Amino acid sequence: MRKLNNSDQQPLFISLSNGMRIALKQIQTAPIISAWTWYNVGSRNEVPGKTGLSHWVEHMQFKGTKNFSGKEMEDAIARTGGYSNALTSPDWTAYFQTLPSAVLETALIFEADRMVNSLYDPQEVETERTVILSEREGNENDPQFLLGEAIQQAAFCQHPYRNEVLGSTEDLLSITRDDLYRHYRNYYQSGNALLCLAGSFDLDEALALIRKHFEPIENTEPRRSIPTPENEIASARQIELQGPEEADYIEIAWRSPKASDPDFFAYTLIESILSGPSTLNMFGSGGIGNRSSRLYRELVESQLAASVYGSLNASIDPGIYTLNITCRGDHPPEEVIERIDQVIDQFLNKPASLEERTIALKQARANFAYSSDNITNQAFWLGYAQSFADYSWFTDYVKRLEQVSAKDILRVARLYLNPAHRVTGVYRHREATDG
Amino acid sequence: MDSKSMNIAVLPGSDTIFRKSFPNGSTLLAYPNQTSPAVFFQGYLPVGSLSDPAGKNGLSSLHAAMLSTGTQQHEFRHLHTLIESCGASISISSGYLYTGFSGQCLKEDLQLILGLLFEMLSQPSFPPAHFERLKQQLATIFKIQAQDTEEMAAQAFDRLYYRGHPYAIPEIGYTQTIASINLEDLQTFHSQYLGPNGMAIAFSGGMDCEETADLFEQVFSNWNTPFQQKQANLPAWQPHRQAMREHVVIPEKSQSDLIIGTSAPAGMRKEYQVCSLGNSILGQFGMMGRIGESVRERSGLAYYAASSLEAGIGPACWKVFAGVNPSNLEKAIGKIKDELKRFISEPVAQAELLDAKQQALGHLPISLESNAGIARLLISLQRYNLSLDHLRELPDILEAVSADDILTCAQKHWNLDRLVITSAGRSL
Repeated sequence: MRKLNNSDQQPLFISLSNGMRIALKQIQTAPIISAWTWYNVGSRNEVPGKTGLSHWVEHMQFKGTKNFSGKEMEDAIARTGGYSNALTSPDWTAYFQTLPSAVLETALIFEADRMVNSLYDPQEVETERTVILSEREGNENDPQFLLGEAIQQAAFCQHPYRNEVLGSTEDLLSITRDDLYRHYRNYYQSGNALLCLAGSFDLDEALALIRKHFEPIENTEPRRSIPTPENEIASARQIELQGPEEADYIEIAWRSPKASDPDFFAYTLIESILSGPSTLNMFGSGGIGNRSSRLYRELVESQLAASVYGSLNASIDPGIYTLNITCRGDHPPEEVIERIDQVIDQFLNKPASLEERTIALKQARANFAYSSDNITNQAFWLGYAQSFADYSWFTDYVKRLEQVSAKDILRVARLYLNPAHRVTGVYRHREATDG
Repeated sequence: MDSKSMNIAVLPGSDTIFRKSFPNGSTLLAYPNQTSPAVFFQGYLPVGSLSDPAGKNGLSSLHAAMLSTGTQQHEFRHLHTLIESCGASISISSGYLYTGFSGQCLKEDLQLILGLLFEMLSQPSFPPAHFERLKQQLATIFKIQAQDTEEMAAQAFDRLYYRGHPYAIPEIGYTQTIASINLEDLQTFHSQYLGPNGMAIAFSGGMDCEETADLFEQVFSNWNTPFQQKQANLPAWQPHRQAMREHVVIPEKSQSDLIIGTSAPAGMRKEYQVCSLGNSILGQFGMMGRIGESVRERSGLAYYAASSLEAGIGPACWKVFAGVNPSNLEKAIGKIKDELKRFISEPVAQAELLDAKQQALGHLPISLESNAGIARLLISLQRYNLSLDHLRELPDILEAVSADDILTCAQKHWNLDRLVITSAGRSL
């Protein structure tokens, strides 16, 4: 088996003649491979009235092409024992298959085919409309989804990050087959795609297969809706929702920098110290706990709230850092918010201790190690990092965090965790009104 | 892929899995992957909610949660600072038959983490303040669950299907039974049942197997519990003899959850493997098998619709489940029943059977994808008393299954006059 000349951990990056980018990373621990095809399109590229297009297109890509029915494609992947799925985010849409190395070509054939040949049969579009509405209804059962959606809307004035990736119910009812097909043909271009392979493969064979199936696909530059970034939340905003629940929930959002901003690394340490570190292992074992974080101690250990979690996502444009709190029945949300304000206030007035920074760095190093635990996750990072920066963002992750000083943390915290520029949302429980 | 073309030597087996038993009754399994800088572990102690005393349902579950609230050497905050400051994690929870634990750490921290795991399992301090805090958290969890259509449909199903058996009761108990538990109950439970006898732990990752076994022995040989009680045997279960239906009303929900179920073979032996292939065809293969094809793909009635086959010790069930718009609930039940009728009326097609076999065989190497997954696999071998070569034996077992075998199993388990159907969501 021919390997890359460098060590197993260093990927190879090339471009095909049609502009399609390729990233290959050999990992010889098991006879399997994970293949990810990324398109530089997500809800960030949608316009009002057409929210949910990217996600719906993702669903339609499983419905068949001129050459294969949707069932034929799904069954062929299932027959290998592998698994496949797709994800739509605000910034990108990605399709992946993790399967035995010997059947890599099966995945490549289908991905190349549906890059250009998907049918968008009108009957299938209608069936999928009800499936997606059902997906949305399932999410609406969760009060934290409803609160999160309201927070997103308030945290951005115009930027499409304000829209739920699933789309609004109103738009999902009015989007047509032609809207979907136009979106597909516009964005699903070889020059707008990135193919990532991680796992056990022969380099020459893999490259030959990739060229065979993808290089003949012509490229047309997409007409792209590029939003203007919103660098701050204009003012303090309050959201109040009510629903037939038996618990209260709080979500607070502050602006976060785009992932390629050097301040993002200081923000990562802020998140770790305040609410616990986010995992880098999206497809494997659970992450590190947050019981030693400041907010867990102040809210949960002190018996004010049932749980607290933070979330900071790497994105192309400035996004949001959110705190999600599940309240206990014996303390009102206002009391919890007041305590959060005290914790943030302390954070803004005194540099994080050396011990806290050392712990956050060790956690980052461990998270980075866990991220290599499965091949699907390694292929994911090969593409994900390139959606907002380049792969070195991921490989240099720990090094970049080590360069963050206590002063950086304080400066970034003061810049972003500003109470005058945040959204505070409360979902209050109430009695049900119907049977 | 068929069983003959498959290179079974790549699968973990008796020549590559390390296993060692210790005088105190514990067992360690390990599978090395020297390229990994981390170690993942999973294990269990042979006691669970089956040992909850009458009226104190949820004791085992609360006990497991309390094991993480402090030890005689380290109070809560110190304990979690030690674990989290090295980027590690240790989780402990309880099921019906076992108290399970799992974790991960960098290999350089394995000694520290094993030492803390030992303290948490053997020397908990049960701090009263945390006991009250956890009870409050559970009260919140019960409230949240009461609004969760998936959870309520599942609890209703267990209540009907396992009626009269301990599996009918949620492992975490009920509001009133949790309220009746006191600290003394926890201490008594701990001293009665917790001990190394019957404990198993599996490691996968960058550790050295022999060194890990030595380290484990060094730490856990100090755990002596001469009065450790064996958990009572699982009581017999009488299958129900009539159809049952329950709808849990949760107002104002956009989606209803639905479960239709029947009996499944106990254990992981041949009949289970036959049913497993049948289940793949019924509600797993591709876009979730025949059920997904009918309910989601052709009718657009649900975002998810599939089937699952429980594996376990004691009675088990075979379920079809779906999340549907409340107005489509009866229509979805009808579609699912049509598929079940077909499933018990005619043998599956040879092409379907071949697909299911190829998927099951092809999936075996995929199970090696992560160290955490391998640790899970090793602990299953131990828990279900399977051979270390189980994965290598599976291809031949699966290859031998015929369409008639699946029909026989389908007819044995899916009696359409005795289905248990539960749902949760808006009123019907």
